[in-house]
Amino acid sequence: MTSLLLALAVGSLFATGTYMIMRRGQIKLILGLALLSHGVNLLLFGSGKLTAGRPPIFLDKRHYTETLAAFQPADPLPQALILTAIVISFGITAFVIVLVNRRHTVTATDYVHGEFVPLLREGDPFDFSESSEIDQYDWLAYEVDEVYDSDDLSTGFPPTPQSEQDESAAMEEKSYRWP
Amino acid sequence: MALSANLLAAPVAAPLLTAALILMVARWGGRTLIRHQVALTALALCLNLGIALTLFFGAAVQGRRFVLQFGNWTAPFGITAYADGLSATLLLLTAIVALAVYPFAVATIDYHRARMGFHPLYLFLLMGVNGAFLSGDLFNLYVFFEVLLMASFVLLTVGAQPAQTNSGIRYVVLNLLASTVFLVAAGVAYGTLGTLNMAQIAERLPLASEAVRTIFAGLLMVAFGSKAALFPLFFWLPASYHTPPPAVTALFGGLLTKVGIYTLFRSFTLFFPELLLSWQPALLTIAGATMLVGALGALAQPGIRRVLSFHIISHVGFMLMGLAVALSGNSLAIGFGLGAAILYLCHHMIIKTALIMAGGAVELYMGSDRLASIGGLVTRQPLLAFLFFMAAISLAGVPPFSGFVSKLSLLQITLDTRHWVVSGVSVFASLLTMINMMRLWRESFWDEYSRPSRVPSRLLQSTRRQWMMLVPVAILVLFSLGLGIFGEPAFRLSMKVAQNALDRDAYIEAVSPSALYSSDLRRGAFYTTGPTIPGGNTLSSTTLGEPPWPAR
Repeated sequence: MTSLLLALAVGSLFATGTYMIMRRGQIKLILGLALLSHGVNLLLFGSGKLTAGRPPIFLDKRHYTETLAAFQPADPLPQALILTAIVISFGITAFVIVLVNRRHTVTATDYVHGEFVPLLREGDPFDFSESSEIDQYDWLAYEVDEVYDSDDLSTGFPPTPQSEQDESAAMEEKSYRWP
Repeated sequence: MALSANLLAAPVAAPLLTAALILMVARWGGRTLIRHQVALTALALCLNLGIALTLFFGAAVQGRRFVLQFGNWTAPFGITAYADGLSATLLLLTAIVALAVYPFAVATIDYHRARMGFHPLYLFLLMGVNGAFLSGDLFNLYVFFEVLLMASFVLLTVGAQPAQTNSGIRYVVLNLLASTVFLVAAGVAYGTLGTLNMAQIAERLPLASEAVRTIFAGLLMVAFGSKAALFPLFFWLPASYHTPPPAVTALFGGLLTKVGIYTLFRSFTLFFPELLLSWQPALLTIAGATMLVGALGALAQPGIRRVLSFHIISHVGFMLMGLAVALSGNSLAIGFGLGAAILYLCHHMIIKTALIMAGGAVELYMGSDRLASIGGLVTRQPLLAFLFFMAAISLAGVPPFSGFVSKLSLLQITLDTRHWVVSGVSVFASLLTMINMMRLWRESFWDEYSRPSRVPSRLLQSTRRQWMMLVPVAILVLFSLGLGIFGEPAFRLSMKVAQNALDRDAYIEAVSPSALYSSDLRRGAFYTTGPTIPGGNTLSSTTLGEPPWPAR
């Protein structure tokens, strides 16, 4: 019964996480990733046998296998695995949140879209000649020479072109790009 | 000098400790501190190359197997590091690629990215890749995957330009999904087999039920296939590889998908070699579709780096084709396909990195890599044009270079095993590769000279930086030429590596995961009284069938 409940919980977490990932908002994406990682953690938890009321310890070193067979202690390893997985997914979730925040700042959009963003627009969907300005090749936005020559090291990254404008007006204008 | 197995810790420890040192003493500094970072990173990369050469000599040339049980804990309880010829070959190539890309990266990475930790991240990525190649434990493999993924996330998005953040989301999410599937596979392995040690999994998997084996293999195939950018799972790659600085793309293109391919090789040779025969039609279909989709997709792309990233996908298909026929053919040619695939992997890592760097140099000189808006660079950069051409025909498979030998051997084994369709597809994909490479070269070097859309920065016009961009490309092209000229010894070596990798009994014996309770095993206690080891609870005699040894 307990394992059935656990299986149901894992399944529903996976289902919800998958559904949330396939929606188009960025925040929903983060929630979906978090739910998926919870599902995996529960699955790892279930991969050791569910033993209630027994400690994960045995003391008799000399009669290792006999004691183990008679005692059936709880398995401590899945908990170590889960702990590792939790730490990893925590770090990654933090990174994704920062990335999403940054993306919202520089592109003023909340939608997650693929390469085929022109599909949402008028005209020929496979016309790559004038792709959206978001996908321009602007990795060299920092002029290498100027940056190296300037001694002003106080600031972090230089302001992106979008944030040079009046930010609120730009946000208002661009957040409704794909209604 | 006798090689100690302790050397296996070095490819992980050297980058990790250097990166930590950089973060401690040379953090966020001005220009002087960045120079210290560069010097330390270069030192670590050279050290890594030395370690990898030593391991390659011991493991691939001499055919030895190195096993390091960390903390001297016996195999299934401790963490195992393992290196045989396959791991050592990939370690060596990783070291070469990382060292070759580094001068290019130093020349082209801007100060802000350097200040945000580009150099330590480079080392962390190297550490993750090395650790994945050396891991002898499924969960550790997952952890090293996450390490390299995390480093690659940051390398991809540092700079936070709009295109980078867009591609970063796609890359992060699709790769995290693959990691989730991998973790599920690890959970399934632990739940059904009671172990995560790869040698012990290999030992117990033949005794597990058909359903367990199929589910485990399917999960691993999805996870590793997604990392390797196989046919239905490759979408993260072309969506992201064109947005970071070219140095990052060159590093990713050289290393990341190869980790997926390595894990596919390792899991199929170690865990379920029988599936290489029973799943062969499916594997060959995936390989053919990957080749075809990659090559056709490249044909439709408008920019140099987009074309090259689709070609990464296409060539992963070639390697999978070699893996799929690894056990086919007559008994004398066992491992021929895998040997050819390993040779192809070497060729691909070297020449793809060189091509992406050359393409990145074009992009830097022209301010864009859109084929429609660049051209005529041959009179201004004749050496770059020459190197790009050499790398391009090597990728396409023209004789004096390594592409010819590796493609020829792959084609030979697929024709010998009578897989006509997939060999035809591979020839067609090679033809498309040739067309694409010629298109790239013609559009970027041979058109009317068009004025760069962005003035190349003054530092990039300095002679020293130009040499730092071109010399690594030249070295890699020369390496590819050498691999092509000395094709036979190289192929013999990769055959030896492949046969070593296919010898799963030797792997299990080297790690010897069951040594601790081997007396119980000999008594048959494990299979008659049920589970006696932690985590092995769901193993029972009903699912296991007959024990593999004769009853006493």
